[in-house]
Amino acid sequence: MKRDFSSWTTYRTAAITQVVGILIGVFSWGISAAYVQRPVQEMYGSDYVSFLLVGVAVSNLVMPLVLGVQNQLNPWTLETILMTGVSTPIFVLGNIMWTYVFSALSFIPYLLIGTSFFHATIRPNLVAVILAFTISAAIMMGLAMISTGLKILTKSTDPITWAVNVLQSLFAGVAFPVIYLNTILFPGASIISWFLPQTWVYHLCRVAMLTNPSLTDPSVILEFLGGALFAAVLLPLGHRVFWWGVNRSKREGTLGWY
Amino acid sequence: MNMGYAIETVNLVKRYPTTSRRDVVVIARGPAARGTVGSISAILGAIKGSRGPFIEALKSVNLRIREGEIFGILGPNGAGKTTLIKILCTLVIHDEGEVYVNGFDPKRESGEVLKNLQAVLPESRGFNWRLSGRQNLEFYALLYGLGDAEAKERISYLLDFTNLADRADDGYQRYSTGMQRKLLLCRALLRNTPIIVFDEPTTGLDPASADEFRRMIIDRLARKEGKTILISTHNLQEAQELCDRLAILERGKVIALDTPDNVRHLVTEDRFLQIVFVDALFGAEEKRFVKDLEAAKNVRSVSAEVNQGKRFYGLTMRVEKDIDLAEILRMLAESGLRIKSVNTEEPTLEDAFNAITGKDGSLARSRGQGGG
Repeated sequence: MKRDFSSWTTYRTAAITQVVGILIGVFSWGISAAYVQRPVQEMYGSDYVSFLLVGVAVSNLVMPLVLGVQNQLNPWTLETILMTGVSTPIFVLGNIMWTYVFSALSFIPYLLIGTSFFHATIRPNLVAVILAFTISAAIMMGLAMISTGLKILTKSTDPITWAVNVLQSLFAGVAFPVIYLNTILFPGASIISWFLPQTWVYHLCRVAMLTNPSLTDPSVILEFLGGALFAAVLLPLGHRVFWWGVNRSKREGTLGWY
Repeated sequence: MNMGYAIETVNLVKRYPTTSRRDVVVIARGPAARGTVGSISAILGAIKGSRGPFIEALKSVNLRIREGEIFGILGPNGAGKTTLIKILCTLVIHDEGEVYVNGFDPKRESGEVLKNLQAVLPESRGFNWRLSGRQNLEFYALLYGLGDAEAKERISYLLDFTNLADRADDGYQRYSTGMQRKLLLCRALLRNTPIIVFDEPTTGLDPASADEFRRMIIDRLARKEGKTILISTHNLQEAQELCDRLAILERGKVIALDTPDNVRHLVTEDRFLQIVFVDALFGAEEKRFVKDLEAAKNVRSVSAEVNQGKRFYGLTMRVEKDIDLAEILRMLAESGLRIKSVNTEEPTLEDAFNAITGKDGSLARSRGQGGG
């Protein structure tokens, strides 16, 4: 154990990031449990259990997309995939389609258990839900491709992905509504959240599932346009970063290294 | 470029950075670092890229491989064989010079190149262990854009072609190394490209499977289907058996390029005589006999095979190719030694390879040691 501890401390950056990650996790969930009922009501007109239920369900729907991209486009299999000459988006979509369908199906039991046993109140607009999921999927796949492109080059978890993940835990409203940041940090702190793509993923899904939004309402349209803007930027950016990583790796002859 | 050639390289140069590669290795190989954030300075270094120093993996390589030819690339480790193959497969981008695969440039037209060339790389991955061989091929057929009926027909043909049909519906995890290699070949052939590249095709296979694989390459791929085949190998006997022509790469340079027979005789036109006796004491008379042989016409050198008990049991003679063997046989008969066998041997590809790549400075010495 002493040996393992010593070994762990030699990976200084890794050790620091792990500790920071744990502290942020504890902090955010602690706050959630104690204080967030009112801001949830203010933002979504709902209760905390419903808010959390949708958050957990969305996490289970969105994360497989990220992992799917990273699992399919990794240095272990990348050479084989590139040798097929198949278009990368088609390959990725084809490979994660089942994961996404399965995740969507597993979403239903969450909602059933939440509403039946914990009295969660879900007020969805089906079209808005589909739209929110589509925008969320595009945002997360863009982020995953950026991360994968950097990983192909660095052969390690990149600092950008790490920073995004840490900021998500604190600012993206996974465990508490973002407006609550104005109370616990400083007034106006929640503005930071709206620059994070993950905030839009959770927010749009919650708007679509908790508030029965009308898609003709200009304020709702604006919300969805905000998320769509992130998707429109991140998806092509992810594609470019991925290919930049692949081509740099091809020039340096490290494509199949891991 | 010239469409008469399946593959053509002109002054091809590839350089690899040395420093950034080392940094990347440090990040990648640490077991505790896998899946975690690596050293930030090393990561930033990897993203920024290296400005040198560089090593030249390929130095002005010129090759022209004809359509329908079986062409071998030989060379010791680090000679640049894999780099060359990966450039052709569009997996590495070259720095200078030109490359054409059926007239298409791998750097700019990778899609077209991959419609003309597929590779069987031993470290190749991408098969799902839980699916059967057939299901794995169906997946790749889909990626290649084959229609259902076409895919079914092509897969059945390839499974028969590689003698895998009986085990096609077994899980991939149950396949032996030889069967896995055959499935790799099936995958490479799915697209029916005119050029197939093999990197160390029989590495890891037992002698019977290796022989079966070689026969498949010659009899079916080359003779029956008329494909152009490029093989990179360490196995010199395999290269001699399979290849119409071959190139020897040494530290990124082509140092020999010809048919296996011509390469064998590139270093020497000489032959070797191996004579085995019923052993005798290696006394003064025998020593004089060896000197007489050395003085005979068209004999270059003679080495006596003497064991630790000073028993004289054989001779290795290096002789010119047009020697009159009758004279040598007469001298042997008059020596009184009882002869078990006399064999003539031509230089092998291994002799030539060792001499060309400088692994062995003296061909005769290599032979002499081998015989003793």
